Order: sequence, then C-alpha cells, then structure tokens
Amino acid sequence: MAQESVREAVNDVPSLRAVFVTAMPDCLLYDSWVRPEETWAAEDAASYFGDLVRANREGLRALKSWSAEMQVTIESADVLMIVRELRGDFVVTLAFQRDVPLGMVRLHAKRVMERLDQILPTLEAQQRPRAVKITEFLEKYAPDPHAALHRVALRTGIPLGTLRKPEQLETTQVALLEASVCDILGLESLSL
Amino acid sequence: MSSLRRYLPEHDLMYFGPSPAVYHCHHFNLFLDQTIDDALGFEAGSRLRFLAGREFAAPLLAGVAEQSGATTPAERLELASKLFAGMGHGRIQLSADARGGDAKGSFLHYGYSWSQKYGQIVKRKQPADAFGAGFAAAAAEVALGLQPESMAAHETECVAMKAPGCTFQLKPGERGVRLPPVGEAEVGKQINPTFNGLYEEVIQPITKGLRDFTAPVQGDERGLVQAFGVFVTLHLAGYYNRISYEAVQQVEKKAPQSVGVLEDLLRESGHVCVFNTFGGILLSPEWEGMVGPLTGEPLPIVEGCMAIARALGFGRWTIAEFEPGKRLVVRAPCSYESVFYRSRYGKAPRPNEYFLQGACLAIAQLAHRVDWKAKPMLTQEFYNALFRGGPLPWKVEQPKSTACGHTISEVVVTRNEGARA
Repeated sequence: MAQESVREAVNDVPSLRAVFVTAMPDCLLYDSWVRPEETWAAEDAASYFGDLVRANREGLRALKSWSAEMQVTIESADVLMIVRELRGDFVVTLAFQRDVPLGMVRLHAKRVMERLDQILPTLEAQQRPRAVKITEFLEKYAPDPHAALHRVALRTGIPLGTLRKPEQLETTQVALLEASVCDILGLESLSL
Repeated sequence: MSSLRRYLPEHDLMYFGPSPAVYHCHHFNLFLDQTIDDALGFEAGSRLRFLAGREFAAPLLAGVAEQSGATTPAERLELASKLFAGMGHGRIQLSADARGGDAKGSFLHYGYSWSQKYGQIVKRKQPADAFGAGFAAAAAEVALGLQPESMAAHETECVAMKAPGCTFQLKPGERGVRLPPVGEAEVGKQINPTFNGLYEEVIQPITKGLRDFTAPVQGDERGLVQAFGVFVTLHLAGYYNRISYEAVQQVEKKAPQSVGVLEDLLRESGHVCVFNTFGGILLSPEWEGMVGPLTGEPLPIVEGCMAIARALGFGRWTIAEFEPGKRLVVRAPCSYESVFYRSRYGKAPRPNEYFLQGACLAIAQLAHRVDWKAKPMLTQEFYNALFRGGPLPWKVEQPKSTACGHTISEVVVTRNEGARA
C-alpha cells in the first residue's frame, strides 16, 4: 500500500530517477520507488542517507546553525540529489537526472515533500536495544564486513554466538561491544 | 635480487638468502597484522610484530651482507635499504649509530597499501609498519655489529595515519629474548619425503613458468611490487609464523574461549589472499599467454592454484582428490607453516596450518563460484557478495598436519549441503 502512495506522489515529476524513504532513527528503508531502467538497490542505499542527515545535523549543531528546515543537496557526476528530514520520522531522498536545473529540482522537491508529508504515517519511536543498533552500524561501515563480528568477538572475548543475539547482551558486554566498534571504525564515539 | 632466491624444488619451499621466504599480497599482510592486533591489542600486537620483524630480518641482512662483501656500517645500511625495496616493502633511509638513530620511509608496503585499501573508509589511529620498524632495528644491529635483539624502533609517523611519510626512531632497548633460529638448516630437518599428486603433468610446467616469470620481479621506483591487482611482497616466512603462533599461544592462556575465533580469522587471511592474488593471476593476460584462456571449468582453476602456491613458495600442494561440485582434498609433504612450527615448538596439539586451510577453502570457492569467462573484477564488493552472510557453500577441515607429526598435511574441502549457492 505504501509503495503505491510513494509512487503516486512522484508519478508526475519529470527527470526523477528514484525516491528513497528512510525511517528514523534506525535508518531502515521504509519505502522507495526506482525508475525501472535503474539498477539501484534501495536497501543498499537508504540507510546511508539517514546517517548522512544525522551527521549533518550534528555538524550543524556543533556550529550552532541547526534548524529543522535544513536539506542536503548533492551534485555528483551523474546524479543530483536532495536529502531532507521529514518530521523527524523520515529522511526522504530524491535522485534526479544530473542535467535538470537546480531551481527546478528544488521546486519539485518542495512539492514532493509536501505530498509525502500528507501520505507518510507518524511512526511510533521504536526503542530497539542499543547493541542491535551498534551491530547494524558495524556491519554497514566495517571495512571487512564479512569478518567484522569475528573481530569484535576476538577483541572483546564475547562469544560469537552471543554477539549474534545482540538484543540479549548484558550492559557490560554492550559497553565492550561499543568500544571495540569505535576502535575498528576509528571513531571517538557512535552517535546512534 | 633474483640470485638470492632459491627453491627447494622437490618441496616447493623458497629461501631468500639464508631465510625461508614466501610471496604474499597486501590483502594477506594487512589482514594478518590486523588479526594479531585484534587478538592481543595494539600495544602487544605491534610489539610482537616488531619483534618478529627484527628477529627474522637480522639473519637475512647478516647473510646477504656477508655474501655480498658489505662490511662497513654505511655499506650495510645501504644494502638493507636496497633489499627492503627490492622485496617490495617500500623505500627506507636508515641513519644510525650505537646510540640510536632514525629511519624515514616512503611508500612502505604496510602503511601505503593500508591507506590504499582502507584509508577512505577508516581513520587509523596507530602506525601500520611494525615490520618496517623491526627491519630497521635489525639493519642497525647488523650494520653496527650490535648484539642481536638489542635495538628498539618505534614508528612515530605513518602514511596510514595520513602523515606525508613514515618516520622511525631507533634507540638501544631492553634486550629481547633470543629464540632458537628457524633458518635453512632447521627447516631441512623438518621436511618429509616428497610426493606427487594428480595432474602433475599440468601443474609442474605451470609452476616452472611462474617461477621464471617472477624471478626478475623486484620493487619499482617506489620500492613496491604492484602486479595482478595487488601489492606483492617477498616476505620472511618466520615473520608470519611467529606472529600467528605466538598470538594463538597467548590467547590460549588469556582468553581460551576466543581461540576458535582467532583461528577463523587466521584462516580468513589465507582465504582473502588466495581469492585476490591467485584470482588476479588467473585473470591476468600473462596467465592467458602462458596457460591459455580460462574455460570456466573447475579443474583448471584448481590445477592453476596448485601451481601458483608452489611458485610462491608455499610448499608442494598436490591434488589428492577432486570431485567437482563436491570435494577437494589437498595434500602436502610439508608447508612453510608446519616446518616452522615443528622446528620452534615441537609437535602441535592439533592441525594448525591456518593459511593452508583458508587457501584451500578459497580455491574451492574460486573453482565453483566465479564466472571466469565473464572476467569479473575482484573488488571488495564482489568479495562481500560472495562471502558475506552464511553459511558458506564450502567448509574446510584439516585431518592431518605434519606440524602434528603426521607424514603428510591434508586439507579436505567439502560442499556444505543446504548452504546458499
């Protein structure tokens, strides 16, 4: 049903290649529409846009410039993207053809956001265990993702089988997990 | 350089000067070093890597200096720099006397290849070139006639940490423990009678061709060997073996519940090596010119991998059984791992040729899961797509190991029924 709604919201937007709707704060793909000729996998991309907006928000806060109205514009070699937070529940990413004038893109983006604001539901904040979020973050960003959990097991001494059920980790184990993930990724802390 | 390389032809083990040596790629080198640090923590891990680098570089440098008639400290330091670059480890300038000194490196294999492979993904907080530090310390000891295991070296700047170059401080340190050497004489005592396997008529000519091809290879103007899509080093087998087996021993004492995970990761270093390096060689125009185009059938891949392993100095890997789609059995009279283990530690309590295990698993995966005719790019994304998530379609066991006192080393790779394709 949601698939239909997003498609309807964008079906008259020319030059649009895809729209990704990412549910926050967990950065999970909620819905998407991708033009049939595109080879993009929405699941592979959506969570990164959530992380992008979150990082952008933290950066702006550090500069004391944050406002709820911010949006990110990305001009890459072959795509022009608008990434915007919607009500705190969602991050919406619109990918346009690269040659569309930026002013036109902004106009279309404003209209689509207004439509999606009407269509998308209000999400109940889902309190997922922090260890689950940490593990997902690791598997998303670790340099050797197939070996990432093994590395955490070796660093922390927490058995691999236990790490595979992160929702059952004890508090001290969660702290060990988080410290090892920070080390593996070279981060001071995780803003999850 | 090429005159220093010798093979024990019946066993396909290699020496560089007086030192047991092998070729390994940056995927293996980085993953193995990382695993040691994961197991022991960075401080203890980098110290072990430094100690192993110093221990095994010293006899190489002393032997080659003697052979080439380099007698003065300046000559010997210069020779050390040339050897380091010739082996594909990068450029290093050494300046030292008995009170210490410094070394400056550029394009050092570990730091540079780390920055190439991981630098865009991860911010590194610690230097990467503990082997380079060990080599620099050994070079100073040998050049100046100092006691072995007496010079310390620390990397203070590293390209992996986004410094413009690598810098080492050398100073006399606490005397390390002198361990019994594992050189040519010691290896010679541990080798079993050799034997052949199936398809030798195919494997042996390819092995010879590869040896001839690699004989003149040495570091370029950067001191790096970049070929087949990887950075290659001519490396000291003792370095790999000491850091692997001492890490296992320390984890057995301190965190025995983690030994299995460590062994998995040691196997993975072999797996990632074979996938990238062997795969890169198989896909190369040089391979096509020497062997012919890949047919897409599994057997030529397995045969080719046996030849590559032999040419790189890993040992006489032979095909004992091969049933495409079901089972691969590889046997060897010894490996660069087992001869080291037996010489230094005696009989192993369980089969522990981790590289051989991971490599044979990767060979089965290469033979069955790669569309060779499509000439795929061996990227990290391709690797992740094949090996991320489980269970994997193949599993590996080692029922026999010459490290345990068996007369052969045997690795069995079988189809994991019910796993994904």
